[in-house]
Amino acid sequence: MNGARLSGPVDPPPSRNGRAELMFPGTSEMARRMRGHPWPRTPMGDPSTWPTSLRTACRICLTSRFPMIVWWGPELRFLYNDAYLPLLGSKHPALAKRGDEVWTEIWHTIGPMLESVMASGEATWSEDLLLATNRHGYWEETYWTYSYSPLHDDDGAVRGVFTAVSETTERVIGERRLAVLQDLGAQAGRARTVTEACELVADVLERSGQDVPFAAIYLRHPENGEPVLAATSPRGATVAPRPGGPGDWPVRQVLLAEEPVTMTDVAERFGELPSGGWRTPPTQAMVLPLAGETGGRTVGAIVLAAGAGRVLDEAYESFLSLVARQTAALVNAAVAYQLQQRRAEELTELDRAKTAFFSNISHEFRTPLTLIMGPVQELRGALAGADERVREDLEVVHRNGLRLGKLVNTLLDFSRIEAGRMQARYEPVDLSAATTELASVFRSAVDKAGLAFEVDCPPLPEPVHLDRGMWEKVVLNLLSNALKFTFDGSIRVAAHAEESHAVVTVADTGIGVAKDELPRLFERFHRIESARSRSNEGSGIGLALVRELIGLHGGTITADSVEGEGTTFTIRLPFGREHLPDDALVPAVGTEAVSATAAPFVEEALRWLPGDDTEAPRWAAAETFGGDVTGSPRPAAGEAAPARVLIADDNADMRDYLTRLLGPHYEITVVTDGQAALEAVRAGAPDLLVSDVMMPRLDGLQLVAALRADPRTAGVPVLLLSARAGQEASIEGLDAGADDYLVKPFSAAELLARVRANVELARMRSRHARWRTAIMESLQEAFFVTDETGAVIEINAAFTDILGYGPEGLPYTPLHPWWPHEAEDPQAHRMVAALFAQLVTEGRGSGMLPLTHRDGHRVWVAVTFNDVADPETGLRRMVGTLRDVTAEHYRVQRETALAALSMRVSQADSLRDALSGALEELRGVWHARRVLAAVWSDRDEPALTSTTSGPRWHDLPERLRRALTGLRERPPLSPVADEPGGAGVALEHPDGMLALWVDLGRNRPFTAEDQTLLALLAGHLGQGLHRAHQLDQQRETAVALQRAILGPSHLPGGFAVRYEPATRPLEVGGDWYDIVPLAGDHVGLVVGDCVGHGVQAAAVMGQLRSACRALLLQEAGPAHVLTALDRFAAFVPGALCTTVFCGRLDTVTGRLVYSSAGHLPGILALPGGGVELLSEGRSTPLGVRLGRPRPEAECVLPARSTLMLYTDGLVERRRRPISEGIDRAGSAIQDGRGTAIEDLASHVMSLLEPAAGFNDDVAVLLYRRPAPLEVTFPAESAQLAPVRTALRDWLGRCELSALVTQNVLVSAGEACANAIEHGSGYDAGQSIRLRAVVTADDLRVTVTDTGRWKPPRPEAGRHRGRGIALMRALMDEVVIDRGTAGTTVDMQTRIS
Amino acid sequence: MTSPLSLAASRRIDGRPVLVVTGEIDMSNADAFDAALTRSAADGDRLVVDLGAVGYLDSAGLAVLFAHGARIELIVNPVLAPVVTFSGLPEVVPVHGPAPGADSV
Repeated sequence: MNGARLSGPVDPPPSRNGRAELMFPGTSEMARRMRGHPWPRTPMGDPSTWPTSLRTACRICLTSRFPMIVWWGPELRFLYNDAYLPLLGSKHPALAKRGDEVWTEIWHTIGPMLESVMASGEATWSEDLLLATNRHGYWEETYWTYSYSPLHDDDGAVRGVFTAVSETTERVIGERRLAVLQDLGAQAGRARTVTEACELVADVLERSGQDVPFAAIYLRHPENGEPVLAATSPRGATVAPRPGGPGDWPVRQVLLAEEPVTMTDVAERFGELPSGGWRTPPTQAMVLPLAGETGGRTVGAIVLAAGAGRVLDEAYESFLSLVARQTAALVNAAVAYQLQQRRAEELTELDRAKTAFFSNISHEFRTPLTLIMGPVQELRGALAGADERVREDLEVVHRNGLRLGKLVNTLLDFSRIEAGRMQARYEPVDLSAATTELASVFRSAVDKAGLAFEVDCPPLPEPVHLDRGMWEKVVLNLLSNALKFTFDGSIRVAAHAEESHAVVTVADTGIGVAKDELPRLFERFHRIESARSRSNEGSGIGLALVRELIGLHGGTITADSVEGEGTTFTIRLPFGREHLPDDALVPAVGTEAVSATAAPFVEEALRWLPGDDTEAPRWAAAETFGGDVTGSPRPAAGEAAPARVLIADDNADMRDYLTRLLGPHYEITVVTDGQAALEAVRAGAPDLLVSDVMMPRLDGLQLVAALRADPRTAGVPVLLLSARAGQEASIEGLDAGADDYLVKPFSAAELLARVRANVELARMRSRHARWRTAIMESLQEAFFVTDETGAVIEINAAFTDILGYGPEGLPYTPLHPWWPHEAEDPQAHRMVAALFAQLVTEGRGSGMLPLTHRDGHRVWVAVTFNDVADPETGLRRMVGTLRDVTAEHYRVQRETALAALSMRVSQADSLRDALSGALEELRGVWHARRVLAAVWSDRDEPALTSTTSGPRWHDLPERLRRALTGLRERPPLSPVADEPGGAGVALEHPDGMLALWVDLGRNRPFTAEDQTLLALLAGHLGQGLHRAHQLDQQRETAVALQRAILGPSHLPGGFAVRYEPATRPLEVGGDWYDIVPLAGDHVGLVVGDCVGHGVQAAAVMGQLRSACRALLLQEAGPAHVLTALDRFAAFVPGALCTTVFCGRLDTVTGRLVYSSAGHLPGILALPGGGVELLSEGRSTPLGVRLGRPRPEAECVLPARSTLMLYTDGLVERRRRPISEGIDRAGSAIQDGRGTAIEDLASHVMSLLEPAAGFNDDVAVLLYRRPAPLEVTFPAESAQLAPVRTALRDWLGRCELSALVTQNVLVSAGEACANAIEHGSGYDAGQSIRLRAVVTADDLRVTVTDTGRWKPPRPEAGRHRGRGIALMRALMDEVVIDRGTAGTTVDMQTRIS
Repeated sequence: MTSPLSLAASRRIDGRPVLVVTGEIDMSNADAFDAALTRSAADGDRLVVDLGAVGYLDSAGLAVLFAHGARIELIVNPVLAPVVTFSGLPEVVPVHGPAPGADSV
């Protein structure tokens, strides 16, 4: 506002009213209020002082029809428009109040948002924000969508917030309620019981606590109609009314009135119900009736509490009534479902009872029938020649038995169809031919009845798939029916094709059927009463059966009839086979004679006709329940040998009966119980086993189970016979694995048909099996099948070929006989065991295994296996193949071993290494305990090499020594494996015969292949050893040459040299040293380093060395020598960049003139300590700059100093500066300056050699001056003076003090005098040797005489006797060694 | 061949006999040295044996000196001094340092 004042209005202010009208335009309530507001008294001040933005905002606010607010100033004063009034509710009027006072209850939410806009100047947007407001006197759930935008003053500072707001409460809540209803709707069809329905509703409402915090569903008790609580939401909520309160939910009242009740005293009645997330529990609720199905009474009532966040208004009520309606719908659906379910169950039960009844009666009839018909048949045979009356009576009994049997069979068929157990086999049939044939059966009966019989069945365009047995029944039933009801006229059978159908009609001119009866003609057990017929016989199920049978064929049958004129049955059967189940289709079996089924029909028909005394047709006897079978079952096509049938029955009569029935057609074996049957089957599988169920020892079901459990007998077809009726019994039998099941009593034909079918099926199966076997056998690879335990249950011929085990030994249970023996070859055993474990556990895998053939030899096989489920039994099976890879295995093994052996031998440095390496390889090939080689050279005792450390010949067991010695006698390379646990072979070694012994350890087999391999390896070893031997010799020659090239074999005194080539085994390289004696006391010193290693570098080195030597001998100075070498190097390939240190040394004075061609500096260790580097006189390596004069430097080597020249191999280390190496070398020499020069050389080399050896050529030259003095002189006293002169001279070069010089001189003189005394005068020509050596701090004199010791003569010692005392006095250490060959006096003195 | 040695007998200013030895005394000429000493010991005074110009004296020479110990005095130079001292000769023979101006070896 300061800003406002400062800026001030420029224009003159308009009149107050006009100004206010301009500021707060319009006629709205809020405009009016604002105009009348006493602004100047508020913190907002006079509107005329307001910034433009505020004024503009006010105008927008007031003229907008959207709810808007302006918050202004630090206190966020509240300005709003008319549209905002409903949102503000009872808070209005609140003009220019502080924001936090207007919206106190939501300030915790919106306050910070407003502040943030004020602070940051950034707008916000909130959508459907839930704010609990209290604007109507109660706490209310409200939703808002609004934006906060900053309002700036004229200076751009944020001074207020502009808000456009819309309340979305209705929409948000509406959507939410709709979701609840949708959720309820989605439950439709899920509940199967009323309780479930109520629980589903409760679940939904529990998820919708905001709208329905509490609910209770009451259902009428099905009997007394009283309400019973079915579910609550939330689950387990208490619903007990408060004691002393107004009471419980008015459920009964609602049920009675069927009207909803709204309650506002919920809290008084029940206290605190679940609040559904609101701050306060519900106070209002509705109790609503749950309407029943249309016209039905209410099924219950539902209590729905209203959430405290909303007032229970009309919208809320309508929502709750929709909830109630949905609930009712769900409950009613469940009721309906339950009702339907109960009806279905009742029907099913009815059906089941009926089927059981049919099944039962048919079986009940069949049992006595068997007992009647069997004996009758016997009697007919036995009484063939008996009295006529008796025979006639018997025929009567027989015929009626047949009739009863037919009736029972029909009933049984029916019950089978009912139970869905009718097993049809549809084959393509020439319908016309089959029908004609069937019709012909009836011709005699029709003729006899005096009726015309027309059969008009021309060939049809395509076959019809029929079950012949069923079709027979259809046609015979229809014909029988026609004959029964036709007294005049004709019976006509016709067939023709009609588009996709074959049509067969059976028409008669009989009595016809009344129109109203027609619809029920095919109804079961429906008989047309009082119809005239030839017989009153009939069960009323014939036509019903016909319709069922045709239905099974996918066809239809209709009847047309005119009463008194006749009836026509029309059958339509579709062509093709798509309408039939695939598994019931069979290929055409061929034409078949009319089966035995026809007989009872015709016999029965004939019986209806007058004067029936005709013989039954001949084939009629085929339908019997016992006795001879005159009709011949068609033999299986193409079978020459009769099938073998095994009969198992404990009842002798039944055995006989079955034997008689089946005997003519099959080869019969009879046993009396299941156990015997099992044994018989195992002895030789029959084509079919016919077994009774009830038997002692092992009953039929157990027998089947036992057969099926054994892979060898699992395929034997079994036909079970049982007296037990009913579906369950047969299912039990089939479950056990029987192929077919026949319930006693059975007709002979039925038995024969079943037996025939099963035999054929079995033969077909065995054809499959044979085909499968043929494929298996034709496989090149061995094939096997194991069960889940890993037992091998099936193999092919290749398997037998590879492992020697045939099918006769099946099953092969683990551990299989071809496993390597654990004790003999544990490693192989482990390999097999590991893969076998994989077979059993994982079922798939592959690998290469060592197995043992039946005859004992080792076979390597590649095996692969996979698991499969047996399609018939569902059992887990592993199917695998084996391939014999023995040859391949040994070839690979041989090649690997040979390669390894060759490598070892070729890498060897020497013959010795070659042999010991080869033995290691051999040990690896056989995992041997050890491998020994004995070589007989010219010595008596062989030289032994072993993979174990150092056994000597005499340490070996006697037996082994004998075996090794024995090998010498054998021709080379012929292995011997007579000894257990080992094998040997002899071969030629360069030094003599070598006997090789592979010690396998205990009991390990050494196979023929192993022997071959041993011979092969021994042969290669022999060759390898000879090669190594040749290499050895070549190498020796090369080394000799190398040494010759390297430098003088005899070094001048004071020098020591070392050479170490980088390339092994050849000891040649590119580094060299040379020491060239020159005129006077001068010596040429050279150390050089050619680029590269090996022979090529050595060749270059040799040339440079010779050239250098020649140049030095020409008395050229070092610089001159190197300049000349520059030119020389230009002509020698590979000589460029050679580095050389060349020096010319005066050994007397120690003056050294030198020049370096890029070589490392010489190191000089001074006698008093300290190191100097000879780093002057340096220039480039050889050949780099031709014709340039080289510099020369000069220095003097002090007496007793040590000089070292070297090549970089000595001091260079990877990743270390070379100066470090030079320092190390300097320290090494300095430390060793008191050591004799030769020892110092060894010391330096070993000290500087890296752990892994030098990786570059190394040449080292060491010199210490003066060189040791060596004087040899005759043992004469006259020699003393010259020797003394020489010694004094040398001592002078050592630069010692006068005292030390004198002491050494006197001591040496005494020693020499002693030596002369010993040697002179006795043996002329004896000589004395004096040697003097100096180091930095030590001087040593040795005097050796060769005279034989003689006691001193008294006269000779006239002037002597004090010599030794004098030596000891003058020297630090004196050792006198008087040996038989002479005396050595060794004297030493320190000189520092 | 013997080691170089010259023996010159004379008298000093005070009239005492002196044997001046020059060269080296070792086993090869010890006998000659002995003879010269014997010859020179004529009167009652001790013979002065001047070894100031001797560069080498070994045990053979010392033996000769010990033999004539009772009648000689010695003059030695620093080179010979240690040998003479280690031998114990000063216990029986008066030993003097070199005369001033005498040559030292």
